[in-house]
Amino acid sequence: MKLPYLSLLVANGALLLSACNRGDPAASAAGGAAGKPTIALVVKTLNNPFFIEMQRGAEEAAKKEGVNLIVQAADREVDVERQMQIIENLIERKVSALCITPSGSREIVPVVVKANRANIPVLIVDTRVDERALAAAGGKIATFIGSDNYDGGRLAGAFLVEKLGGKGNVAILEGIAGHETGDARLRGFKEAVAKAPGIKIVASQPANWERDQGFNVFQNILQANPAIHALFACNDLMALGATEAVAAAGKTGKVLVVGFDAQPEARAAIQKGAMAATVAQFPARMGAIAVQNAARLLRGETIESFSPVPIELIK
Amino acid sequence: MPVTRAAIARPSTLRRVMSHSARQLGTLGGLIGLCVVLWILTPHFLTVSNLVNVAQQTSINAIIAVGLTFVIISGGIDLSVGSIVAFAGVVMASLLERAVPAPVAVLAGLGAGSACGLINGALISWGRLPPFIATLGMMSVARGGALLYTEGRPISGFSDSFRWLTAGEIAWVPVPILLMGAVYLISHFILRRTPFGRYVFAIGGNEEAAVLSGVPVRPYKMLVYGASGLLSGLAAVVLTARLNSAQPIAGINYELDAIAATVIGGTSLMGGQGSVVGTLIGALIMGVLRNGLNLLGVSSFVQQLVIGAVIILAVLMDMTFKRPKR
Repeated sequence: MKLPYLSLLVANGALLLSACNRGDPAASAAGGAAGKPTIALVVKTLNNPFFIEMQRGAEEAAKKEGVNLIVQAADREVDVERQMQIIENLIERKVSALCITPSGSREIVPVVVKANRANIPVLIVDTRVDERALAAAGGKIATFIGSDNYDGGRLAGAFLVEKLGGKGNVAILEGIAGHETGDARLRGFKEAVAKAPGIKIVASQPANWERDQGFNVFQNILQANPAIHALFACNDLMALGATEAVAAAGKTGKVLVVGFDAQPEARAAIQKGAMAATVAQFPARMGAIAVQNAARLLRGETIESFSPVPIELIK
Repeated sequence: MPVTRAAIARPSTLRRVMSHSARQLGTLGGLIGLCVVLWILTPHFLTVSNLVNVAQQTSINAIIAVGLTFVIISGGIDLSVGSIVAFAGVVMASLLERAVPAPVAVLAGLGAGSACGLINGALISWGRLPPFIATLGMMSVARGGALLYTEGRPISGFSDSFRWLTAGEIAWVPVPILLMGAVYLISHFILRRTPFGRYVFAIGGNEEAAVLSGVPVRPYKMLVYGASGLLSGLAAVVLTARLNSAQPIAGINYELDAIAATVIGGTSLMGGQGSVVGTLIGALIMGVLRNGLNLLGVSSFVQQLVIGAVIILAVLMDMTFKRPKR
């Protein structure tokens, strides 16, 4: 019976290999016993440039602060159950502090409570936790680090109103329903646009934060409403997808596309004229502030309960 | 002539059970080996609280995978389980939101899951649709239904009596783990000790032969998919309690995890062979791997790679293992 042993060997070999690959900091950390505290940053996913930037900022700050950093994420942005598992496992690993970008504002609450019970401070980054749900569960967070997405949405809305001279047909690509981040952007945008009675929102559809869905959904919207003058997409990935749909319809430059996040590709699209503007958040700075604040907290310093990260329109 | 136990079960089952327990020992060896390696690599793995943690994290996938094990042994496939989790979850949550007593809401969730499964089964048995197509359709229908029903929004915030399903313990063991244990005990008994179980093997082994020997194939196939739907409903109950929220987008890709656990556990995708014990070990291997890689701080990209490698390896092993015997 060689085969069971073979499987055992190969599976474990793979594990050992991956364990060696990850570099030494996390290995020696063992919950901070080796001197340096270990801070964990759990983002929504690492296949979105926004969170890769956040990771970069966090890593730089960790080097400066002299702490170990573990960055983990689920494979898919919306997989909050998997994110919960990751956080539970990090609690078992006894990390010193947890920085979390929740994949679900309410769904994250039970695991925040678990961290509270294990006396691990929780810092929330970028996406807010539903405060009522948190209070109801008796959980608490150390701080929130992020931009005001509502203001960002208003910024985008005001820009379009001005660009369109106060009248025109506008479409919206929404993120996943029930996400605080997207909802706030949407509220801000709608409020700014409502100030110009000449502007009509002719379609508002979710494209679930994704590029390919942004393409398809906006293509369909264009089919139904050819006379669209502008689009607000709640993130750049959807906006970039939509620009392809605009190009496919031969309308590049005729539809003003405004995105959110100011990813490098979106900035390039603005230079080329495929996009009109994007709202810049500074994910790297968010990651850095999160790690700095966690380190300060671990040194026994007090930190603000809200660290705003600026927001600006790139056009 | 009515079918006797011996007629369909005896001759092939003996050999099957023999080769199967050997296969299971191999998988179990893999799980134990994995645990030993993790125990050496990190002090945080082999603690009571972490093992409870792993069992809880595994419970949802493990419960769904039992349904898939039945379906796959019967020679079919069920791609709709993840969407049924979402649909059953939001049906139950909407009732909880209206202050319906928790047990009633839970039953409604289980009922919604079973109904989806039975529809799958009817389409396959009487509509003669290939299981892949019928459940692919249901995957989209149930997901769309869940999104439509909730307008895309999660339903959250439930009473403590409902949350007991995740936070509660009986004799120090958390409820989800007990549920998982009960599901495995009952389904193992059904598969190995009841006519239903024997028919499932017979249908998957050779459907025409099963028909000819008088097995009521159609109703039993329908029941198999109904059971898969019921177990997806149960998984929805655990998931909803765990997140304190039912999301219409919950459970995406759960079918893949459940198929992986089933296959790692030695159930053959060709049908006619398999066991729920193997599936439990398969689900635990996946859970332990994910947990261990998190404890070690391994990047999520490497995690995907490792899990994929383990799936391929397990099936590869299966093929080589079985070839000389057949």
